[in-house]
Amino acid sequence: MLNSTTKNSLYSVASMLALLLVWKLLALYWHQELILPSPEVTLIKMWAVVHAEKFWPAVGLTIGRGLLGFIISCVLGVVLGFIAGFSSPVYWLLQPWVTVIRTIPVMSVIILAIIWFRTDIVPIFVTFLMIFPIIYSNVLAGIKNVDQQLLEMAHMYRVKTRRIVGELYIPSILPYLLAGASNAMGITWKVIIAAEILSQPRLAIGTNLIIAKIDLETAQVFAWTVVTILISFVFESVLNSLENKFRTWG
Amino acid sequence: MSMSFALSNIHKKFGDLYVLQGLNMNVEEHKLICILGPSGCGKTTLLNIISGVFPPDQGELLGFAGKTISYLFQETRLLRWKTVEENIDFVLKDQFTKHQRSEIIKRYVDMVGLREFKNYRPDKLSGGMKQRVAIARAFAYPADILLMDEPFKGLDLQLKTTLMQAFVDLWLMDHRSVFFVTHDIDEALLLGEEIYVLNERPGSVKGVISHRIPHNERNLDSKNMRQVEREIYQLLTVP
Repeated sequence: MLNSTTKNSLYSVASMLALLLVWKLLALYWHQELILPSPEVTLIKMWAVVHAEKFWPAVGLTIGRGLLGFIISCVLGVVLGFIAGFSSPVYWLLQPWVTVIRTIPVMSVIILAIIWFRTDIVPIFVTFLMIFPIIYSNVLAGIKNVDQQLLEMAHMYRVKTRRIVGELYIPSILPYLLAGASNAMGITWKVIIAAEILSQPRLAIGTNLIIAKIDLETAQVFAWTVVTILISFVFESVLNSLENKFRTWG
Repeated sequence: MSMSFALSNIHKKFGDLYVLQGLNMNVEEHKLICILGPSGCGKTTLLNIISGVFPPDQGELLGFAGKTISYLFQETRLLRWKTVEENIDFVLKDQFTKHQRSEIIKRYVDMVGLREFKNYRPDKLSGGMKQRVAIARAFAYPADILLMDEPFKGLDLQLKTTLMQAFVDLWLMDHRSVFFVTHDIDEALLLGEEIYVLNERPGSVKGVISHRIPHNERNLDSKNMRQVEREIYQLLTVP
């Protein structure tokens, strides 16, 4: 008998093969590379894309913008979430801002950002606005859910406030923060590409996608998309493994 | 002359409801004081007043000022991300040097029989083991007074007996002043030196029983213990 993990990954592999098969069949049916390039054509294009001169700079800068937006959101989300978690006035001061940021359409933000900022700042700004509310509200939820009985115990044993924050609050919040971060990481790459497509920084995956579209190079659109999926996959698995590591604390 | 603690004419109400009304206690230091009463008679409120969580509405506390206090709760209240040793260390860190702490921790972890489990986190321990860690933490903390809020409630008889034994062993080492709240007559019989029987709400002292049988001779089946038990019952059933 196979153990269940092996079995589960077999299912996933089978499912991916089925996806490729459906893709291939649809490509055969339309038989037009402009509409749907076949998997092998996409693979060949990917090879060309990866070996193009500006590939690594574009990928590197897109990842850099994504991570920068993500990190700024995390830092501000944690700091403001912490302050708002302890201070009701700050919470209510921030509440309308967070609600507005949370509900504003991505496209409006991108268009406004293009009007206001340099092209390579736009994706970072947009990512920040999309990610920050997620991190912020998860940190808040973490603080609200800190075990009151543990806090009471720590106060009764006269543990110093600095240590209560470091050894009780932070470990309690960490699972919430990591769940928020891994959720946010997935969204980051979608948002960053959308913002790059509209703002078109000189070196960017999004810019390459829109150029491929203008050139009617559908296979290249596919190739860049696959590259993006791979990037997203790598970062999400890193965060997931961190999240699993700390889940037992929750 | 030994120091003593006194609570005189303590009143406390929450909203319109009197929880404690005219409660008086006068006890010597280094005694194991048991406060026995039905559920909802204000026992936990009394402990909160002693520990200074909130002040009484009326009345006075004497002898408690400047005393350090440790606690045993009904829940174990351990940090799940810390090991047995680290949980005890958590309450000691602000009081002792690293070297002192490791000696204290080692001594108490050994006393409650958890040496092999010292590096385990709570989720790997049984309920009884976790309560032992809590007991070790309460005794390891350098307190003059130990407050206990029904720490053995809801445990099965066998576990309860071994935990009470672990507690008595630790207590016999340092005889610190204990205020132990319970609604269980057997616990009062096995642990208390002075047993304060409380009225139903609003709580006040119905009577005090001095229970002088040494802890290591206490056995629920013995004749002397039966005698004390009868006294308690009489007090409890007096209208």
